[in-house]
Amino acid sequence: MECVVQGIIETQHVEALEILLQGLCGVLKERLRIHEICLKSGPNLGEFMHGCSFRGSTLMTVRHIGGAMRGAGAEQISVLVRTMVESKVSKNVLRLFYALGYKLDHELLRVGFAFHFQRGAQITVTVSSVNKMLKLHATDEAVPVTPGIQMVEVTAPASAENYTEVVSAVSSFCEYLAPLLHLSKPGISTGVVPTAAAAAASLMSDGGGTTL
Amino acid sequence: MPLKWVLHWQPNAGSTVNSQILSEVSQCVESINGLKQGRWKATLTLYKPHTREPSLTAEFPRDFLGVSVPEQPNKYYLIIRGQRIVLEADSSIQTIMEKLQSYKTRLALNFDVEYLPISSMEKARQIMGEFLEIWQEAVSKRSLPGQFMHIEPNFAEYGLADHYTSQHTAVQYATVMAQLIATVQAVQSVRN
Repeated sequence: MECVVQGIIETQHVEALEILLQGLCGVLKERLRIHEICLKSGPNLGEFMHGCSFRGSTLMTVRHIGGAMRGAGAEQISVLVRTMVESKVSKNVLRLFYALGYKLDHELLRVGFAFHFQRGAQITVTVSSVNKMLKLHATDEAVPVTPGIQMVEVTAPASAENYTEVVSAVSSFCEYLAPLLHLSKPGISTGVVPTAAAAAASLMSDGGGTTL
Repeated sequence: MPLKWVLHWQPNAGSTVNSQILSEVSQCVESINGLKQGRWKATLTLYKPHTREPSLTAEFPRDFLGVSVPEQPNKYYLIIRGQRIVLEADSSIQTIMEKLQSYKTRLALNFDVEYLPISSMEKARQIMGEFLEIWQEAVSKRSLPGQFMHIEPNFAEYGLADHYTSQHTAVQYATVMAQLIATVQAVQSVRN
């Protein structure tokens, strides 16, 4: 299982966000370049649609994202809790899944950076521009899906036993980012925040020393 | 990692395998200075398509195999023999396959094998071949109703290099498994 929230930020404020994250996490950022290939099952296989994405360039990972946790409790919390299983695999994985009848649904290239740190939970923040390929697998010719806007995702692994604590750790971390961007459950877009420009200017002027 | 040959026992027509034969085979190996070193377990799982319309499955594999081997407990191997594909994955791939629900596990076999390591075996086909001959000779002296067979799959077809890996082992298990299934089916068709 994992807890996840997403948001968007204008590219011009990404540098300020990076300064803020650096100050909050105290770790160095990691560069990110993920080629994501999403598959769906062919019409002949089962009655459900399934997505499966493959990430990485030299090392490949199969990632299965399951349905969100349901129920009254899940509605009330501001973080999405969903099943997620990953497996590192050899590079011929696409050939295997195509042979089993899976079809390419879409592919994306995410370019940006990530911070991994411990703050009540093992939190990962990724900031990336999402690009699409005009030709199959042509990652060198990728173009932004939303020019001028980057995607921010905060995730943390969780289990059935500890997810409430992980949810509160993620929620409280998100509050620190609130002046720059609003994070919510995936699929519920809340747009950019009006305070972003002022918050970014303040961060850029003093290098993140001010508590927002 | 050390090279491994997976052998299977091919019973003579009309005979079956029993514990007496296994015991005699063990004695054969001990007679050429093999040491018995505990039990050893591999698991083979047969995946079958999960579909309500069997007529639509023609273009996809009828089944594929999942193999776990003891020397790589955190890895799992998926093999489609018809298309010569072997995939090495973290063992969590089993959970993913289960969640995808396209293929269901239909049969799982645990192979409890008594592993008989012969020390200082070099990674050379010639030496392995010579060893197999010695072993066959020892077995033949006992007039057992069958013999050991070694089928070497064409590893290159699976995109595997000459350097031996657990993927080679997994492919050998898949080949032996197919051989066993074919043998069982042949025996059944004779009986029917």
